[in-house]
Amino acid sequence: MVPTPYYVALSALLLTIGAMGVLTRRSAIMVFLSVELMLNAANLAIVAYARQWSATGVEQALSGQAAVFIILAIAAAEVAVGLGILVAIFRNRVSTDVDELSEVRS
Amino acid sequence: MTSVVQWAALAPLLALVGSLINAFFGRSLKEPAPGVIASLMVAGGFVLSVLAFIGLQGMHGGVQVTLWRYFTAGTLHVDAGFMIDRLSVTMMLIITGVGLLIHIYSIGYMHGDDGNSRYFSQLNLFVAAMLVLVMASSFPLMFIGWEGVGVCSYLLIGFWYRDRVNPDAGRKAFIVNRVGDVGFLLAMFLTFKTFGTLNIASVNAAAPGMLYGSGVLTLIGLLYLLGATGKSAQLPLQVWLPDAMAGPTPVSALIHAATMVTAGVYLIARIGAVYAMAPGAAGTVAWVGALTAFIAAFAAFAQTDIKKILAYSTISQVGYMIAAVGAGAYWVGIFHVLTHAFFKALLFLSAGSVIHALGGEQDIRKMGGLGRRMKITGNTALIATLAISGVPFLAGFFSKDAILSGTFTSGLLAGNGADALYIILLVTAGMTAAYMFRWYYGIFGGQSRVDAHAAEHVHESPPVMTWPLGILAFGSIAVGYLGLPEFAFPNLIQRWLEPATAKVDFNTLTSGTDWLLIGLSVAVVAIGLAVGWWVYHVRKGAPVAAIKDSNLAGASRGALGFDALYRILFVASGEGISGGIATLDRDVVDRGLAAGGGGGAGLVGKLATLVQSGFARAYAFAMLLGVLTLVLVAALTGVLK
Amino acid sequence: MIALFVLVIPVVFAVVTGLGGARRSAALAFGLFSTLATFVLTLFLYGSSGISVPWIPGFGVTFTLEPTGAGSVLTLVAALVMIPTVVMAARRVERSPGAFVALMLLMQAGLSGIFLAHDLVLFYVSWEFALIPSMLLLGAFGREKRRAAVLKYLVYAIGGSFLMLISILAIKPLSGAASYRFTDLMSVTPHLAAATQVWLFVGLAIGMAVKLPLWPLHSWLIDFNEQNHPSGAADVMGTLYKVGGFGFFAWAIPLLPVGAERVGPVLLVLSVVTALYGAIAAAAQTDIKRLLAYASLSHMGIVGVGIFGLHLAGLNGAIFLLAAQMLSTGGLFLVSGMLYQRRHSFDLDRFGGLAKSAPALAALSLFVLFTFIGVPGLANFPGEFLSLLGAYQHHPWLAAAATLSVVAAGVYGVNFYQRLYQGQEHEATHEIGTLEAFALIPLIAGILWLGIFPSPQLQRIQVQSRLIAATTTSASAGALLAAPLPDTTTLAGAKGGPLAPPSLPGEGPVAPDAPLGGGQ
Repeated sequence: MVPTPYYVALSALLLTIGAMGVLTRRSAIMVFLSVELMLNAANLAIVAYARQWSATGVEQALSGQAAVFIILAIAAAEVAVGLGILVAIFRNRVSTDVDELSEVRS
Repeated sequence: MTSVVQWAALAPLLALVGSLINAFFGRSLKEPAPGVIASLMVAGGFVLSVLAFIGLQGMHGGVQVTLWRYFTAGTLHVDAGFMIDRLSVTMMLIITGVGLLIHIYSIGYMHGDDGNSRYFSQLNLFVAAMLVLVMASSFPLMFIGWEGVGVCSYLLIGFWYRDRVNPDAGRKAFIVNRVGDVGFLLAMFLTFKTFGTLNIASVNAAAPGMLYGSGVLTLIGLLYLLGATGKSAQLPLQVWLPDAMAGPTPVSALIHAATMVTAGVYLIARIGAVYAMAPGAAGTVAWVGALTAFIAAFAAFAQTDIKKILAYSTISQVGYMIAAVGAGAYWVGIFHVLTHAFFKALLFLSAGSVIHALGGEQDIRKMGGLGRRMKITGNTALIATLAISGVPFLAGFFSKDAILSGTFTSGLLAGNGADALYIILLVTAGMTAAYMFRWYYGIFGGQSRVDAHAAEHVHESPPVMTWPLGILAFGSIAVGYLGLPEFAFPNLIQRWLEPATAKVDFNTLTSGTDWLLIGLSVAVVAIGLAVGWWVYHVRKGAPVAAIKDSNLAGASRGALGFDALYRILFVASGEGISGGIATLDRDVVDRGLAAGGGGGAGLVGKLATLVQSGFARAYAFAMLLGVLTLVLVAALTGVLK
Repeated sequence: MIALFVLVIPVVFAVVTGLGGARRSAALAFGLFSTLATFVLTLFLYGSSGISVPWIPGFGVTFTLEPTGAGSVLTLVAALVMIPTVVMAARRVERSPGAFVALMLLMQAGLSGIFLAHDLVLFYVSWEFALIPSMLLLGAFGREKRRAAVLKYLVYAIGGSFLMLISILAIKPLSGAASYRFTDLMSVTPHLAAATQVWLFVGLAIGMAVKLPLWPLHSWLIDFNEQNHPSGAADVMGTLYKVGGFGFFAWAIPLLPVGAERVGPVLLVLSVVTALYGAIAAAAQTDIKRLLAYASLSHMGIVGVGIFGLHLAGLNGAIFLLAAQMLSTGGLFLVSGMLYQRRHSFDLDRFGGLAKSAPALAALSLFVLFTFIGVPGLANFPGEFLSLLGAYQHHPWLAAAATLSVVAAGVYGVNFYQRLYQGQEHEATHEIGTLEAFALIPLIAGILWLGIFPSPQLQRIQVQSRLIAATTTSASAGALLAAPLPDTTTLAGAKGGPLAPPSLPGEGPVAPDAPLGGGQ
């Protein structure tokens, strides 16, 4: 069995890549993609620990697996809503450049 | 008998009522009603004072009348109350007696003036305040009267306020008085700190128990002296009195001759117990008085305004009084207050008659020879001139002589230059005779230099003005006999006042020395008059007509330049400082703090707005940093263990 | 209970007047009724019982009003001053007089809260509550440069109160008091460590120093007075609101005596500077409002001198002066409003010689002016005299310096009068009207009352002064207290019982329990 730390390391790596993506990408779609990546990185970490726990505590293991399902579902919902907003914005402007959406500024 | 004396406490109230009546209803009353009402009130005060005087016969102490509690602060209890004893009743008689005559005179003098009722209202208010001053049983109450007379003086000097000169003079008097008041206030604070009370009788009782010549007592004495110099126009605060002549002449007579300027003398006499224990302070008092007397007499020679000469004369005579109380001869000082009140008031009122007759002329270079046309005024003025010069058998002779012998023999002044003081005062007596002769002769004697059209309506004043002149003239002769020299004759006033004032040691002289001193002063007076006669009469009054333009004359006219000096030193620099502070406040403190505070707040605000850039990626970055920080903190501190 | 009504009545009438529309007659009627009713109530305030109910139990905050002591004197005088001010405001404010009067009444409620509060948080809440109407009066009804003036006012006031708030919030947990009630705090805070006391005191001091106002935190006052509505009514409210001195007297010093002793000398020096600075700057002013602003600053300096001298007489005098200056400064501001009515300017050069055509106005203003500069026999004198006397006992040189301001006061006072009323008259003006006379008469009556019979009010103030004198060692070292030290825990139930001043020997019917002191 692959040791848990390896999975956690991979999860951290994915999280970092996703964070970099959120911070540096200018296209809104790419930002969403990166956010998905981060969410799945978190999922990976949870699943890894859930498997590690399954040896000692069935409760924790099962709740870990359940948590992943919930996160997946919420991620999907969030992407749906987000893409909807994006489409609405795209209707008003031509580009989806994040930097230009700065009307929250004081 | 006590109850009769207690009624005297009503005297100030009467005057106050008179003042209020004239203030509120005066303008609807027809002349001479305001003046009559005012005079009646003062007359009532006089009657009460006489009754109190009679009631005090046979009593050595006084009667305390306490009305209500004024201040409360821990153990500080100050009552609004009066102390009517021999000293205060003497002053009351002077104030109401001479005051009554001046009120009656004013009915004639202020006839036709449209501020008639305002004048009498303020004059009555003055009498009320002055009575409170001399009757007060505690220092704060005396201070109420003290500043009260200052306020009335301010109002009355600037009475004809439309001409700028008059309110300016009033303002000067008020402010110079206030400087003296600072001294009075500080003296009161120190008195409380030292004695634990502000009741005058208690302080007088406690003073002999203190260390003789202690620094504290000397300081208290000096501070009260500062207050006295303000009110009595002595060095260094004498500059306001000549300007105060801008007010109506009866005001000058009452306030700036007979009563208010003697308040300082009264104060020092009242707390003589303190000065008797502080020879340093007493010596300073005496020297201030003597120097002022000399300088003012010197200044009187080159003056050309009929009232300004009398003003400097007043400063000089009050100097004599101050010198007397400084020497510890308290009854002598009050005696001179009494005699001076008569002849100085007479001098001012006759000056008023002259000004009245000449239609407002006040320059003596344009007078002369009026004695022939104004017999009563001229003769009474002559009596007053002789009295003030110290001619024997008139009032001034007795009181001035008492002052001279008092300073010469004072035990309190021993070692503080008593002899030099005596010489200065003696010489000044001669000068007094000389310049007063100049005054009298320049106005009433010799050739007439009066303007032609003014000469037409020169007339003697109406009886309402000449009767007071006569009564005052009688007083200028008779009052002196109350104080015959003790060594040879019964001295009524000394016996009357001495129990009420502090005890000071005096050297006794042989009667030969006493007669010698009297002879000296008579000689000096004779010399002064002779000089005057020779300079002004024999040389046909020329120096009166045109003052020589020498350095000496210039120094005399400018009264040794005190006024000019103060103008530069205080007025100009004061205006500079105040303008400077105003600008400093507006531009530095205001801009600085407000700019600093406001600017700082604005700067912080601007920095804060940078966060709200609307830049989404910046928000995301910030969130990431926050999460990382939380995780690190949780991991490192083990908070979640 | 009376205290509660004193607070509530103005609020109720403020709401009614504010809602009653802008009709002038309604504003006048409601305002007059409210202020008269409040005044009558304040006459019975001393000796009545207070109220104490829990307010925010979780924080230990109670709603406690205690009418015994200095607060009753200040509330009484403030209520007296409100009467003519409301009348003048209702008649002279051009637009929305109803709103103006409503704001004034709200402010009066706040002021009464400040003076009568016996709970520290209630005190602070009232302190801030009174700020709002004051700011609105300036901002909505002021003159051309009001925006800048309001901004400056707010920055100073809120900056100071913020620090005050920190101290207030800290004082209870640090000292372990049971609640924010004065008596509860009083039993523990004086025992705090010296350093703690100093810091807490400094926090409170900055907030109160802004309100006093103390140099150099005074600049807001000048523009505040200059830009306020020309009728002078808002300036009178500003005068009533000079509560910094009271804050020190009633809260900062008794609760933190060691802190007060350590920091006191610094504040004393600043007060002396304020007294002199204000008077000297006033002498150079040519704008009436600015002159009055600087002059009243000078008076506040003397209040500070009296308080920080930490001597019983000085404390009595300082609070008495606070009350007296409400009458005199308020009176002069109303007079300035009357002058503006005639010339539509506050520039002194536009006036002159008014005594000819308006002699009664001249006489009344001179009376108020003489009160203002401290002429004895009138209201300001006992306060000034006792303040300086008290400070002199422990700090002679500083007190002597402050006494010099008396000369400067004489200068600006008679200058002011001369430029307004004396000299040649350029254009005639009309004599005092019935409205204006009605406005000044109550103030003059108050001035005479306080000036001639100050003792009853001084005794009421003394009830609280003794507290400070008992706990600050420098004052008690002066050994000038004759009465036994008060039992502080029974202050709330005092009502003139164990804390009644010693009976007076003989003369004079001065019973402190009767309303108005039962004087002559």
